[in-house]
Amino acid sequence: MNKKIAFFVLAGILVLGGGISWAQAPLFREQLVYSLTSFDGSGFSKSFCPQSEETLYFIANFNSVVNPRKTIVYYWPITRRYMAGFSTLNEEVPGKLEIWQGGKLINTLEKQKYVLYYPEGYWSEKATIYLGEDAQEYYDEYKAAVDEFNKKLQEYYQAMNYYQQQLNNFFEEVRRRREAGETGPLDISIPQQPEPPEFVKFYVTEPAEGFILNLPVGNYEIRVRMEDGTIFEGSEKNLVVFTARRREGVGYEIIPGNRWTKRENCDDPSWIIHAVGKNELYFNPFYQEEYNELYYNKLKDPQNIGRLEKWKWVHVDPVDDAQVLLGRGEEILQTVDKAPYFVKQVPGPELGYEIIPYDEELKMSGYQPTFESYKVTLGEDLVGADYQISTISRETGEHIPKSERTIRFLKKENGAYLYAVAFLPLVAGAIIIISRSYRVEK
Amino acid sequence: MAKKVTRTLFKRDFLYTLYSWGYYAAIFASFLVSSFILKNFIDGIREEDILVSAYPLHQPLYITLIIISIYLVIVSAISISREREQGTLEVLFYGPVTAGNFLWSKYFKDLLLGIIALGFTAVYFYLVSCLTNLGFTTGLIKALFMGVFIISCVVSFGLFISSLTGRIRSSVVTLLAILGAFLAVQFAYGALLGLGEEATISLPLLYLRQTLSYIFQGINWISPFAFLSRGLDAVVLESWSLYLANIVYCLIYSLIFMALSIFTMNRRGVKA
Repeated sequence: MNKKIAFFVLAGILVLGGGISWAQAPLFREQLVYSLTSFDGSGFSKSFCPQSEETLYFIANFNSVVNPRKTIVYYWPITRRYMAGFSTLNEEVPGKLEIWQGGKLINTLEKQKYVLYYPEGYWSEKATIYLGEDAQEYYDEYKAAVDEFNKKLQEYYQAMNYYQQQLNNFFEEVRRRREAGETGPLDISIPQQPEPPEFVKFYVTEPAEGFILNLPVGNYEIRVRMEDGTIFEGSEKNLVVFTARRREGVGYEIIPGNRWTKRENCDDPSWIIHAVGKNELYFNPFYQEEYNELYYNKLKDPQNIGRLEKWKWVHVDPVDDAQVLLGRGEEILQTVDKAPYFVKQVPGPELGYEIIPYDEELKMSGYQPTFESYKVTLGEDLVGADYQISTISRETGEHIPKSERTIRFLKKENGAYLYAVAFLPLVAGAIIIISRSYRVEK
Repeated sequence: MAKKVTRTLFKRDFLYTLYSWGYYAAIFASFLVSSFILKNFIDGIREEDILVSAYPLHQPLYITLIIISIYLVIVSAISISREREQGTLEVLFYGPVTAGNFLWSKYFKDLLLGIIALGFTAVYFYLVSCLTNLGFTTGLIKALFMGVFIISCVVSFGLFISSLTGRIRSSVVTLLAILGAFLAVQFAYGALLGLGEEATISLPLLYLRQTLSYIFQGINWISPFAFLSRGLDAVVLESWSLYLANIVYCLIYSLIFMALSIFTMNRRGVKA
């Protein structure tokens, strides 16, 4: 009995003790990190490089920002990465940034003022960096635009108040005249609702300071030299500056009509769209660049791992003002313009939805388009052959280079004969060997 | 005289293999595997659906080249070891036959048989394309042409291993072990690379992938199959410079291993 009690007590201690150790708070360390604003082909990715990472990765010949900061760093085992507590400590590191290559100092940088300019708004990926006086000018322009918007918003609120009053007066007047026994149409002007002002379309970040790196392809080292001439401990990092393997060409995001939530990518020019039967395909063409997966992942976040042997296509910009063509050889079968579509949930049918063109009726009902795309219909007449899809620029009327892809219709029903074809060498061998035996015997 | 000797040895071995069932059975086996892969590919696309992929015929071609070239080098290894064991080699070398004549005849015999097998492969893929419309493209023709040089690499490597070993069993076992190890590393590494980016893989698999990456880098210029991967990559990238560079590398590789084979056979002698 005593043994049993002792066993349960021991087990309880172990379980509780284990629980306590699992619940341990992570270890916080103060360390120098590099806060990074790296150009990623389209816009800018923000990340940080802790002491555990020895190398930073940047795209060649484009501005990227590195900013050494002192902060609190801790390891977060769930995501297997170090986290920075910038809200707790975010101290600037004084000094200049030295860039070395092959044991030689090639440049010493001072901090510069910069802003990020998002021409399509805060949520868009596309961004440009502006430096020095330009940075301040763009930020001032943005501030002025926001102030102007706020002013118009105030005027709008006032106009809305006035409109509400006018509307109340209108209803009061209608009620009064109806109660007075007036019938037929009333000659009272209806108040007009004011239009709200349009929000500032672009966005500019607050001016900040950092070291601007813009280097050709190569391997470098960086470090921060303090004003007293010493190197800031932990500031030494390797730098890999890389470029795209392939820049030209257009990649496609394809929304198959029969499974619109599971999209496909056809990025590499050598990739083929194999089709069986009829379908509706919604194509979204993008300009793209191909980067080494490891380098690109590390550029996005130095703690990512990635595969050095793999390459990935990065969609840089959507292809606007274009048309998508479906053809066979020289013959053009379909010319498609970009159009908005709405996914309508339908109870009953197998798919559970229907993709319909977004029209005025839907707009008036307050619906937004689900997506915009170039719709190509693969009808039942397109079978057992190869067709080409390509994108032409509306401006020039010419094919955008490397935008061609093959749509190949497979004859699935003949798949069973594949094993029969494998017997070809045995048949040939039998003919050769038997004819030789016959010759020898003869 | 040397040319005549080489030609005679070549003709004898070539006809012997050409009139044997094993050669056709090996090609048949490779086509059977290819048919299985292609059937799965086609069945993987549902009715009224699409599948985006690179050249689907490249993987079967890859398998076909591996099976055919391994068969050819094993046959050569067996014939070298048998002639060594039976003393035929010693008798031959008392005459005007040198290690160079002997090994080059084996090399050209295997290469020509490989080219004939590639001819069968081209016909097979053409028929497959006619049946299923999987596409007999210029990329496939380029890949088939690259196959000639890959077979050259595998054959020269196989002859080198055969020149090192004595008995039939040790020769075949060593060849299979080395080529099998090369393939195992390449396939395992390829499979781990194909698992996706780091976020989706467990930590032990990541370490295994890293370890295999180092091993793969080590054998990258020794394994003849690595040249095959590079060649197919060059075709997919549509890069003539990479394609031609790979052909040049294959030729250099073949010459180095043939030179090493001749050197080893001269040093080792012809006795088992």
